[in-house]
Amino acid sequence: MKERFEIVGIRPLPDPPVRKRKWHEGKPLLSAGVLALIVLGCLLLPLMGTRDPSYMDLTRCSVPPGKAFLFGTDAMGRDVFSMIWYGGRLSLFIGVAAALLSAAIAILFGAASGCAPAWLDGLLMRLTEILLSVPNLLVVVLLQAVLGKASPLSIALVIGVTSWTGMAKIVRTEVRQIRASEYVLASRCMGGGFFHILWRHLTPNFVSSIMFMAVMNVRSAIVAESTLSFMGIGLPVEVVTWGSMLSLSEKALLSGAWWIILIPGGFLVAALLCITSLGSCLRRNINRRENNLY
Amino acid sequence: MTARKQIIYWGKKALLFVLSVLVLSLAAFYVSRLAPGDPLVSYYGTRVEKMSPAERAWAEERLGLNEPISVQYVRWLARTLQGDFGISYKYKMDVTEVIAGRIGNTLLLGGAGFLLIFALSMLLGVLCAWYEDRPLDRLLCRVGTVSSCIPEFWLSLVFILVFSVTLRWLPSSGAYSVGRGDDWLDRLAHLVLPLSIVVLSHLWYYAYMVRNRILEEVRADYVLLAKAKGLTKRSVMFRHCLRNTIPSYLSIMAISVPHVLGGTYIVETVFSYPGLGTLSYESARYKDYNLLMLLCLMSGALVILCSMAAQIINERIDPRVRPQAPEVTER
Repeated sequence: MKERFEIVGIRPLPDPPVRKRKWHEGKPLLSAGVLALIVLGCLLLPLMGTRDPSYMDLTRCSVPPGKAFLFGTDAMGRDVFSMIWYGGRLSLFIGVAAALLSAAIAILFGAASGCAPAWLDGLLMRLTEILLSVPNLLVVVLLQAVLGKASPLSIALVIGVTSWTGMAKIVRTEVRQIRASEYVLASRCMGGGFFHILWRHLTPNFVSSIMFMAVMNVRSAIVAESTLSFMGIGLPVEVVTWGSMLSLSEKALLSGAWWIILIPGGFLVAALLCITSLGSCLRRNINRRENNLY
Repeated sequence: MTARKQIIYWGKKALLFVLSVLVLSLAAFYVSRLAPGDPLVSYYGTRVEKMSPAERAWAEERLGLNEPISVQYVRWLARTLQGDFGISYKYKMDVTEVIAGRIGNTLLLGGAGFLLIFALSMLLGVLCAWYEDRPLDRLLCRVGTVSSCIPEFWLSLVFILVFSVTLRWLPSSGAYSVGRGDDWLDRLAHLVLPLSIVVLSHLWYYAYMVRNRILEEVRADYVLLAKAKGLTKRSVMFRHCLRNTIPSYLSIMAISVPHVLGGTYIVETVFSYPGLGTLSYESARYKDYNLLMLLCLMSGALVILCSMAAQIINERIDPRVRPQAPEVTER
């Protein structure tokens, strides 16, 4: 079948060459790989014959890295190589657990505040602001006291409970914007309860805007745990995490034992970096307009 | 009319401030008393272990620790309102004196750190926005991401390891060497490491904010108009875009004060720098109640003041954030 009209006089321009993006461009493959390696190492290596990380061999304290001890031993004669993998399990677990907990609290609190009448909303937001201004150190010490002896689970709980305020504010703003939409009203008219509306209608709308913060919360929870353990307010030295491994570093500084400081810290920073770049990849795909300045 | 409105506006703010501080003090008071630990240890030292129960009871009564917490709180509040903050259990002198001896060091570290962050983040942000997506910008973004990922305490450890243990260039702890308190060069040498940690660990966060804010601004339509008028790139950037970002920058920096302060506390502990950070850590650990309360109140008041300042800056500059709709001007 022939076309009835033919365009004459205008030469069709060839399409400008669009460089096809390869599948891996703009994706943090390297960080995903490194993080996967660390996670796999933490999960699998302890199963395959590493030394007992809590065994203290006081005759061999602060041995530099070598054949017998791949990463050396710390000031209490524990093998750093096995401690890294056992400690990583706990550090990563605490990070993920605390982030999940804080996300759950933030979503519930933010949605409740967003759906509430104005006076209650104002009250709840003031409350979060006051919570933000109480020094975290004190809250952590108290909550620890209530929960008894510090354990990984209690630390995760404490960090999760103290780090939800920022996200709750975002959830609240988003909920206030969409709570009067027709589909929410419709759902309410049909008898949808708070949790039904929250889960089916509100959450899908704001999940993308808090995804980034949730991933960043994993990072800040790991940092918080290691800082607390390092300062001696968090987990005790016997519970091996990347943070508590570093709490012995003052002795290490005096004796110049660099491996006790640099190796756990290196793993810590590597994990944090990977998590950050994964998180910011979640945020980056906003379509950018042209820069008007050029 | 407007004068009355002004008074009401500031009165509301002041009331909110006082209320927040009160709630904060109540929370901090209960938290610190309920947390485990023996305040007698900080007062009597190791002698506590040898005390008989009768002696303990007498000591607790002397310090007013035997009453219910609510009574203690009311007492504390009454004394505090008269300007008497009590004595520190550990130092056996007025809490205000203990703090007065330390606050200069923290103000020096935190203040210098804050000013440096303030200036450098603006500079870096503008630099990155100017060279958007070119090698310099990419390099700075990379370096910044890495530096903001490293926990403060570990960076401090590495700096101590490199600069004081290995190279022996800079001292690793304290604010001055023994007996050389007046030597400002010596003080400066002690300040370099903590200060650089405070600046490095916060700088990038704010620089990145400035960069993103400017990049948003550069995409606005008025930039096209300004360019069509024939303004140079530089004057569009500095006269228009930068000026528009200043309000949000100021309010971000006002909120940043507590963050910088918190960072200062951690850095002080690692470097055993005699400031308020080490003091609050000690007082929380050894249950030096009066000292802890005043420190909490001071930091809390600063935080609340700063977040209020940020809010006021925003309201003044951006009419959309104002609580009520703007009045129609009277004629």
